Amino acid sequence: MSRWNMRRRSLLAGSAAGLTLVGTGLLPRLAAAQPVRGGTLRVSVDQAPSVLNPLLHRVNPEYMLGEMLYSGLTRLDTDMSAMPDLAESWVANDDLTEWTFTLRQGVTFHDGSALTANDVVATFNAILDEATGSPARRNVGPITEITAIDDHTVLFRTSGSYADLPVAVAYTDAKIVPASILANDFDSLNQQAVGTGPFQLVSYEPEREVVVERNPNYYDPARPYVDRVEMVIYPDITAEGSALISGDTDIMIRADPTDFDRLANSPGIDGLRTPSGQFLNIVLGCDVPPFNDPRVRQALALCIDRGALVDFVAEGYGTQGEDTPINSAYRYWADVGHREADIAQATSLMQEAGHGDGLDITLVASERPGTRAQMAVAIREMARPAGFNIEVQTMPHATYLDQVWRQGNFYVGFYNMQPSADAIFSLLYTSDAAWNETRWNNTDFDALVEAGRRTPDGPERAQIYAQAQELMFANVPTVIPVFFDLLGAKQAYVQDYARHPRGAVFNLDQVWLGDGAPSRD
Amino acid sequence: MSLSYLVKRIGFILFTLLAVSVIVFGITQVLPGDAAQMMLGENATDDALAAVRDRLGLDRPIWLQYWDWLSATLGGDFGTSLRTGLPVSEMMLPALQRSLLLALLAILLMLVLAVPMGIIAALRRGKPTDVVIGLGSYVGVSMPEFVTATVVLLLLANPVLGLFPATGYVPLTEDFWEGLHHLALPVLTVSVILIAHVSRMVRSEMIDVLHTDYVRAARMKGLTRRRVILRHALPNALLPAITIVALDVGYLLGGIIVVEEIFAFPGIGRQLIVAIQNRDLPAIQAGALIMAATYAIVNFLADLAYAALDRRIQYA
Repeated sequence: MSRWNMRRRSLLAGSAAGLTLVGTGLLPRLAAAQPVRGGTLRVSVDQAPSVLNPLLHRVNPEYMLGEMLYSGLTRLDTDMSAMPDLAESWVANDDLTEWTFTLRQGVTFHDGSALTANDVVATFNAILDEATGSPARRNVGPITEITAIDDHTVLFRTSGSYADLPVAVAYTDAKIVPASILANDFDSLNQQAVGTGPFQLVSYEPEREVVVERNPNYYDPARPYVDRVEMVIYPDITAEGSALISGDTDIMIRADPTDFDRLANSPGIDGLRTPSGQFLNIVLGCDVPPFNDPRVRQALALCIDRGALVDFVAEGYGTQGEDTPINSAYRYWADVGHREADIAQATSLMQEAGHGDGLDITLVASERPGTRAQMAVAIREMARPAGFNIEVQTMPHATYLDQVWRQGNFYVGFYNMQPSADAIFSLLYTSDAAWNETRWNNTDFDALVEAGRRTPDGPERAQIYAQAQELMFANVPTVIPVFFDLLGAKQAYVQDYARHPRGAVFNLDQVWLGDGAPSRD
Repeated sequence: MSLSYLVKRIGFILFTLLAVSVIVFGITQVLPGDAAQMMLGENATDDALAAVRDRLGLDRPIWLQYWDWLSATLGGDFGTSLRTGLPVSEMMLPALQRSLLLALLAILLMLVLAVPMGIIAALRRGKPTDVVIGLGSYVGVSMPEFVTATVVLLLLANPVLGLFPATGYVPLTEDFWEGLHHLALPVLTVSVILIAHVSRMVRSEMIDVLHTDYVRAARMKGLTRRRVILRHALPNALLPAITIVALDVGYLLGGIIVVEEIFAFPGIGRQLIVAIQNRDLPAIQAGALIMAATYAIVNFLADLAYAALDRRIQYA
């Protein structure tokens, strides 16, 4: 039986024994300086939120709102392990198919009603209902049944062993909303926020500014540290950077690689850089010619100068990929080796595969983000000497989603970091993956991923995931040459803010304003 | 002007709006992707798509969807945005107000600058002043607003000088001067073509009018030059400008879409672009109808004003 003992983080801060417990990612910084309460934090984002309903969030500014206004069962720590949120502790049966979560006592929603197990059950049922259209449906784990044991205990059953469930239910959209609202007036969540989060909604003007203020009844009396957060929307990222430099804003969530140096070198501004599992890839249709031949896939992988791509596509703010979706930002990353560009070997593989006279093929790249087309053009040039005659075709994102994505056999993909190795594998690369876009359908790989799900965290699990990564490295169902670092910037007086590797996690309730912060009354 | 004429004109406007709504509806059906697909994005599995289409009613026959939309709209309900889940009117009306403010300021700036420029050019015909104004307006007419916007941004909003904010919007009610500060560049960009266009118009009309018999008669009566120009020549020279301004409103609506996008101004044009990108049909319909209605109504008003100012014109 695996068991995690959870205590409130505020208790851990003062205790030396805290180091032995889970959730250590935040401890060293807390020990360094005592957070100060108060003040207004102005955070800028580069995109307007579209929806307020937390179950339907899809982009970072929305995730940020969901996180401030609502709580999940668990939260994702910076090392990608699960931390308690509304669930104080959890425990699984031996074969990891039944998980029991114990909820905090005395938590209330912003409207004053008490949080009970029924709210958790109703929320997860809504997420799993296809008609809701929640992006969380495929990401919260293979949940088959949720039952309220009593007011503060919830039992989750999964369709198979699933060691990652506590991490999976930390998914950005799995925010607990009141059962009564779900039953009667789901659409009202588009206009009001009734959550249990550290902040509550003051005003919502999605094209311009969203304001939240401290929830006085938050379950942790210590947090949040700031009284008020103003989320300012700047559709133009250059203007957004200027606003930070001039002191109008305190945190800029996302910075462009091209603008990062200017920001980081400005006085009083800290550049923030976190390696992440976000990647660009070349999706190969492994069930039809020419990419059903592993030699053609390996040949393409051998053409690529990965270091040059990191410089060209990520402006140097990234890391090289080795054709697996796992990099060092993940918990179970394994060093499977490095593939140097080798045109001679690529050419001979192409000859063996019967493409000695060259292979004419069209590579599709959506216009959003622009780096897709950038990478397509670079790959075209890198692969030409080995006999790939690639024609790059760009198209609007809507057309791409409709006609190419998950259907095409040669296109540029772009994916965010997932919370666990299992999440990214079973999203994209297993035979029964939600978006099995490569149609690799490798039974050895499926078996490894399945074994990973059954194995609790530990060396055995690491061994299984290392084998899965080696298999992808050797067999190349997709070419993953470049991972992006996540970039941002903040004023030096903003304390305890860093970009989370997952990208969609912000932890603004941990942030506090140190010496030198302007008063904004 | 007869009542039957008014009824006929209004009927024609309503028919135009109906036709616009049918065309917009038809076009959105042909576009690749739909709202469910854009909502789910890369989470769009086939079953999720089907479920969301069912929830939004996108799987019903097209004519039924159109009929539901039309009957609700006739009842004053523009529907709910597929993207935000908010009432479309709640999204569109504030955006429309901001766009109207932008358009009104542009027209105001145009009147203040274009009319004197036209008069001066006409009075100094062939002299250096005329040549400079003529050249300037020639350049102004020929530059599309995305070029003007880029030039304006480069000159007035570059990070070094930082004279004006490059993007954004502050309500005048919140901070009047900061609000004007944010409006300055979009207004300037939109009005450049208007100013150029109308000043050329005023100049040529003014030159014609200055050669008419009644202006010569007024001069020979011994009236001051000032009085002749402002009282006798100008009103007659301005009459054709009304038509031009009305037609320019059509341009203004198109120009505003581009300018709002470049300056990230949260007006109706930007709403429309976002709606189209997300295949948000109720919002697209409302945006297109508002634009079409504005154009139709402004032209109608121009015709009425024309008749009111020139008694010789009778509509039947």
